[in-house]
Amino acid sequence: MKKMIISVLGKDRPGIIAAVTRILLEQDCNIENVSQTILQNEFSGIFIVGVPKTLSEGDLHRHLDAGLSPMGLHVYEKRLSKGNESQAVVDSEPFVVVTKGPDRKGLVASITAIMAAHRVNVTNLQAVFKGGDDPNANIMIYEVDIPSDANHQALRRDLREKALALSLDLSIQHKLIFEAINRV
Amino acid sequence: MFSDREILSVVEMLKNENLDVRTVTLGLNLLDCASDDIGRFTDNIYARITGAAENLVKICDEVGDKYGIPVVNKRISVSPMAVAGAPFNAQQMLSVANTLNEAAGAARVDFIGGFSALVEKGIARGDRALIEAMPEALTSTQRVCASVNVASTRAGINIDAVLLMGRTIKEAARLTADRDGLACAKLCVFANIPQDIPFMAGAYLGVGEADAVINVGVSGPGVVKKAIDRATASNPHLNLGQISEIIKHTAYKVTRIGELIGREVAQRLGIKFGVVDLSLAPTPNVGDSVGEIFQSLGLANIGVPGSTVALALLNDAVKKGGAFASSKVGGLSGAFIPVSEDLNISQAAAQGHLSIEKLEAMTCVCSVGLDMVAIPGDTSEETLAAIIADEMAIGVINKKTTATRLIPVPGKKAGDHAFFGGLLGESVIMPVNNATGENRFLRRGGLIPSPIHSLVN
Repeated sequence: MKKMIISVLGKDRPGIIAAVTRILLEQDCNIENVSQTILQNEFSGIFIVGVPKTLSEGDLHRHLDAGLSPMGLHVYEKRLSKGNESQAVVDSEPFVVVTKGPDRKGLVASITAIMAAHRVNVTNLQAVFKGGDDPNANIMIYEVDIPSDANHQALRRDLREKALALSLDLSIQHKLIFEAINRV
Repeated sequence: MFSDREILSVVEMLKNENLDVRTVTLGLNLLDCASDDIGRFTDNIYARITGAAENLVKICDEVGDKYGIPVVNKRISVSPMAVAGAPFNAQQMLSVANTLNEAAGAARVDFIGGFSALVEKGIARGDRALIEAMPEALTSTQRVCASVNVASTRAGINIDAVLLMGRTIKEAARLTADRDGLACAKLCVFANIPQDIPFMAGAYLGVGEADAVINVGVSGPGVVKKAIDRATASNPHLNLGQISEIIKHTAYKVTRIGELIGREVAQRLGIKFGVVDLSLAPTPNVGDSVGEIFQSLGLANIGVPGSTVALALLNDAVKKGGAFASSKVGGLSGAFIPVSEDLNISQAAAQGHLSIEKLEAMTCVCSVGLDMVAIPGDTSEETLAAIIADEMAIGVINKKTTATRLIPVPGKKAGDHAFFGGLLGESVIMPVNNATGENRFLRRGGLIPSPIHSLVN
């Protein structure tokens, strides 16, 4: 068995997962992990699968494409490199950054540029638009991992300064507080 | 991964509902500082307090930053000074108070509690010296808070001590006449005082406690009020059972925060975590008021008929939510109704909706008693003592904590205005009704026996 990662993208409709998994079953592949999400009406799914040695990458793509392109789905697959598993684990702590303020181009780019400069890894990003046309109700939620040896004060200062320049209200809080409040 | 609703509700509580940790209080046992030499004793307690509390403020601020939840007050409570400093006379007790004040200043905390005596059954030499020193001590210091436990369900009510406190309060008011009797705002008289209160002015560290302990007081009433407002806005027909559930859920959330932050502060200081005090403690700010909760519940004002039952509902729901959220609950854990410290309550008093009599009734169902009540300066020692004794009876018979923090404001009469400043707030002076003539009942003194524990009606 070799490991492949397969991504499927296209307009959401009933039967996408059924179609993908049927093809994988027919080719004797074993699904190890799946994540999927729907953004507006677009479906996106990532599958990590064990593929028999006898099945070439080209053949797998042909089978998937043949089954999925009639449904308007794009498929892409890639061999999973072994290095992924042994990637050095960075000691870090989870935080949640929330920004609220008027919508404009480059909000996420500006904020994440600062995060990247401080070696902060974004593990989840949600954009929430509340209140329809209210420009102030544009909310971004970044779940991030901050390396333990990062300069927290400098990171906070840089984020706050950028937020101020963009007229954003920014908060940064350790994730535990959300767990403590929301989970029993 | 959290839902956006989960994250935004927390951010909303923080930004718009005055969510915070009201106090982290470091309790310090000073009994091992004992000496019959006053110089040595004050050196010992100064070194102990400033040593143990050196990083308290810094760590509280760091932990507050980490979670994005401010720790508003950092405080220290110490062993009852009447016990720790039992050999000393009143003059020496005064220098103990000054030492406590300096140590609190060095530790950068706003209040230090524990200038306290436990006299529910009798007054020892150290107790008498401490109480004698109280008026002057509370006048010459800024940070020292005092408390005296004069009654308990097990011991009864020490009327001699109650009378002594009537005199002491009067004297404390006289010495701070230029500040509307401010010294009295730092002096509580208790029945059934808990050993682990984090809130001032009643905080002290009980003799049954360890060397050092961190106790936490959770956030104020703003969060509860907004939760009720939100729920009733989306469903105007909510009944009281449903509202009680909403308060319970909110108290759970608030308490979880206190528990999390308290534990982390304790761990970083290398000190045992004590308790979370669930009390809803108001500040003199709009949106941070217990009185406003009454209005959100549907009463015109705190003090109108229905106020006692509303407070009972509120207090019970807060306890139920909080008890589940925390592994160790203690302190006062009820709703505070301090008149001058709560903008809305002091307004209700000024408009005549709230009387001392109604306040007293409400203390039957909440934790604290007649708290921060400004009364006319010419209220006699005997009448003060009588009000205290009534309040103590409520605590003793109902097996609960009650207290008084009465301020007879020198030179002012009912309807005038008293100003204490800061967290202590300001208030109209409330009339004490039917207080003319002598009180021969109280003047008899002695100990009112502890109540029978069966036949509970």
